[in-house]
Amino acid sequence: MLTSSAAEHRRGFETRIGVLRIGAILCFAALALGFWILQVVQHTKYEAWADKNYLRTIPLRAPRGVLFDRNGRVLVENRDAYTIVLLRERTANLNQAIARLAEAVGWPEDRVREPIQIAIKNKEQAFRPVLIVDHATMPQVAAVRARKLELPEVEVLQVPTRQYPDENLAAHVFGYVGQIRDDQMGKTEYAGLEPGAIVGQAGVEREYNGELKGEDGRSNVVVNSVGRQIQPLGQEDPREGERMQLTIDYDMQKALEDGFRAAGFNGAAAFLDPTTGEILALTSLPAYDPNAFATGIDRTAWAGLIGDPLNPMSNRLIQGRYAPGSVFKIVTAIAGLGTHAITPDFKVSCNGGGTFYGRFFQCLRSHGVVDLRHAIEQSCNTFFYTVGSKLSIDTIHEYAKKLGLVGKTGIDLPGEVDSFVGSSEWKQREFRQPWYPGETISVSIGQGAVSVTPIALATMISTVANGGTLVTPHLVRARDADGTGWKPVPMPAPRAKVELSQEDLQAVRDGLWMVVNGSGTGGKARIEGKDVSGKTGTAQVVSLTGAKAAAARMDVRDHGFFVFFAPRDNPQVAGIVFAEHGMHGSSAAPIAKYVLETFFAKKEGRPLPPLPAALKTAPAAEPREPVISTEVRRGGRGGGPVPER
Amino acid sequence: MIGERRLTAHLDWPLMAGVVALTLIGLATIYSVTWDYRLGRPGPQFWTQLYALPIGLVAMAVALTIDYRTLAQRSLIFYALLVAALIYVSINGDSRMGAQRWMTISKFSFQPSEFGRITMALVLAMTYGEGRRGARTIGDVAIGAILLGVPLMLIFLQPDFGTSVTLVPVMLGIMFVAGMRMKWIVVAGLVAVLLSPIVWMYVMQDYQKDRVTTFLDPSRDPKGKGLQQIQAKVAVGSGGLLGKGFRQGSQGALGFLPVAHNDFVFSVLAEEQGFVGVLVTLALYLFVLWRSFDAASLAKDRVGAFLVVGIISGFGFQVLYNITMSAGLAPVKGLTLPLMSYGGSSLVSTLAGFGLILGVRMRRFTN
Repeated sequence: MLTSSAAEHRRGFETRIGVLRIGAILCFAALALGFWILQVVQHTKYEAWADKNYLRTIPLRAPRGVLFDRNGRVLVENRDAYTIVLLRERTANLNQAIARLAEAVGWPEDRVREPIQIAIKNKEQAFRPVLIVDHATMPQVAAVRARKLELPEVEVLQVPTRQYPDENLAAHVFGYVGQIRDDQMGKTEYAGLEPGAIVGQAGVEREYNGELKGEDGRSNVVVNSVGRQIQPLGQEDPREGERMQLTIDYDMQKALEDGFRAAGFNGAAAFLDPTTGEILALTSLPAYDPNAFATGIDRTAWAGLIGDPLNPMSNRLIQGRYAPGSVFKIVTAIAGLGTHAITPDFKVSCNGGGTFYGRFFQCLRSHGVVDLRHAIEQSCNTFFYTVGSKLSIDTIHEYAKKLGLVGKTGIDLPGEVDSFVGSSEWKQREFRQPWYPGETISVSIGQGAVSVTPIALATMISTVANGGTLVTPHLVRARDADGTGWKPVPMPAPRAKVELSQEDLQAVRDGLWMVVNGSGTGGKARIEGKDVSGKTGTAQVVSLTGAKAAAARMDVRDHGFFVFFAPRDNPQVAGIVFAEHGMHGSSAAPIAKYVLETFFAKKEGRPLPPLPAALKTAPAAEPREPVISTEVRRGGRGGGPVPER
Repeated sequence: MIGERRLTAHLDWPLMAGVVALTLIGLATIYSVTWDYRLGRPGPQFWTQLYALPIGLVAMAVALTIDYRTLAQRSLIFYALLVAALIYVSINGDSRMGAQRWMTISKFSFQPSEFGRITMALVLAMTYGEGRRGARTIGDVAIGAILLGVPLMLIFLQPDFGTSVTLVPVMLGIMFVAGMRMKWIVVAGLVAVLLSPIVWMYVMQDYQKDRVTTFLDPSRDPKGKGLQQIQAKVAVGSGGLLGKGFRQGSQGALGFLPVAHNDFVFSVLAEEQGFVGVLVTLALYLFVLWRSFDAASLAKDRVGAFLVVGIISGFGFQVLYNITMSAGLAPVKGLTLPLMSYGGSSLVSTLAGFGLILGVRMRRFTN
């Protein structure tokens, strides 16, 4: 039996045990509540957090789409470049690894250490490979592979890299690729790309970047808390970019650039199918080596390209603006015929010039009585002054526009500038002055307020060749998005139509034929049986009076143009050759001839012609066309007044 | 003496089953979190824990077999041995993870501090339960405080703040049921509050201070000291209602949660087994506590009752603290979860403690 005191004790003890029991229940209930809040109420938040902890993706670069020429020949493809990386998670002694790797690749240790230190400083995770050698040389790759056992932390990765043809061929067609720039990062076009992504930065690579880039894949890995890769979680393979068939013909392209090189000119040229606007060959020289960009161009090389006074980064064909000179007489002729201001039989007597609006305008020499055909053949200024005096500037502007010489041609290359032909509206807007009829006289022979790109002149001559349809020059023929075969790209719709009677058109064509096959300035482009027709033009770099003063500082030789099509009555090819500082349009003609011979040889299944020896001789001095304007124009791009848009 | 058969008839099998169940849950969680995917087998911690289990069960059986009164009467000897061992490790012990806690005897190493709770429970149960009227006077309390103070300081200096703190509830629990006046508890609480700035400034080490400050604001240092706390929350929260599944957790297995098999074993359980697994385990712990309180109520003498309360107070405090910490709701301390966390010494001493509790209940009708 318990004593009363003991019983009292017992009760007190029981009470206090009860207190402990209740305390325990309350504590556990509170814990359960706490876990319920974390695990059920806030589950989503913590689940995302946990996933972020252990899931990592490593991007796999997609090969860009392969570019073919119109005959299926590969122009631009991808090769595997080799990249040497170091995986920090695999090494216990980083310094030793750096020393061994530096020895293997033949670099100073500091150069190997630098990217690793940057990676450590940026707290990059150890499983992420640190890029040590980008575009490693074969000896470096061989050396690292031979030391595989000594260098367990080093890997050689293959990265698809653009491979362009040798000798900078068609560099301004392809453009180049490079790492996405900071100012491009925010744009919707580049949505989803990470810094360091490779995108097209010029040419077709830029214009069709969306199609060519493909889709990068990713390798998902599970990593642990120190960033060590635990296991792969599967991989999304990269999707190769769209394959594209360009309108370019490799052999013509090669002939064109070989021709330029042999003649020793810089400049630009385009050869088109005049009925479709397909560009068979396109160049702008000097050019750059797109391969240098593909492998990551270094600072000095880039500075050299940018600082080069010859401006190799500029595509003169679409970014250079020049006074077309006598080439513009074609426009004046068509405007005169189209408005019935003249007929093909209209005749002018040339006595070495003529007086219009009280001012004397010079011709090269006295041509005597010439009709339209002979005026074109002889490039008689007096004839076209007279036609110009019968037309208003706005009529000439209107026809120039229908022939593609106003605004952009719409070629599928980035950075095209507007071509310009003056108008009364423009003069009023820009100078708050009326257009003076005397100014029309200069314009009628391609001087004064005329400033056009070579590609615009190419569309103009194509329009003459195809009978009046202004086509859009373009570079892509067919696309193959998924390896299921070529899907033709529809021809862009014509932009304008010039209404011209067959008789009038034939007169112009006859004149152009005579330029090459008669006694005109285009004789060097003559091909037996092919009826090459064309027109030369000369763009002044500086005025006659300024030439002497400027000669010491810059190349003051004039630019030469040659626009052409062939054959005369069934044109299959048209285009322009622009010889920078070529002195005269006739010096551009031999280059055109060589490419045209290549075109016809290929078409008729004959062997391709060899590079003619004649091209290698220095350009002969041709009779200089008369000079009217006294204003000083800058050479290269941007000569002459430019309209504002 | 009573025959063995009659004694075993009074053995609390449900309590034993609950204890063993928690041990197995712990073992399974350690198996899961230490699983090595490359080698396709669990880590060495699992095997160590597996070997510790039978040793612990033997210890439990031994503690059960020996009459607790015999042990209580010799408790001062154990107390002296404990103090001696603690002094020994503070001079000669092995250092691991910055603390000198381990004592190596032939092949085995163990932490004497883990056995501090049982020893203190025995000593204090004897002090207040035998021949005295409980803890009613200041003198009674002072004796207990001195007895507690010596090992407490020794463990604290190892330094092992967590383990040293677990000795306090042993004393408080026994004094509470021994009739300590409520106002003293209030006074003690006030003194603790008033002393805390002094403790903060002069007693606590920098790393301990860091843990408290980062607990108050984990985001202040999310990659450093606050990391464990944040990652513990992420582990628990990402588990959801049903969990990610056995061996499917990422937080613990991939090392985002440090010492996942040890201090944060409950976080791993929460991650892999979800809220359901948490509830089951919490219920088991509560059940174990409940049956232990039953044992205290049923004890035939005050020594037995106080012994049970002392052991279960230390146990209960550590369970509550560790689980709270596992959810990132308390500052991170090196406190393991009894029965579940990795740690041989802890498992063996805890099972031995439950051996004593079972023994008290079993012997309730003996004289």
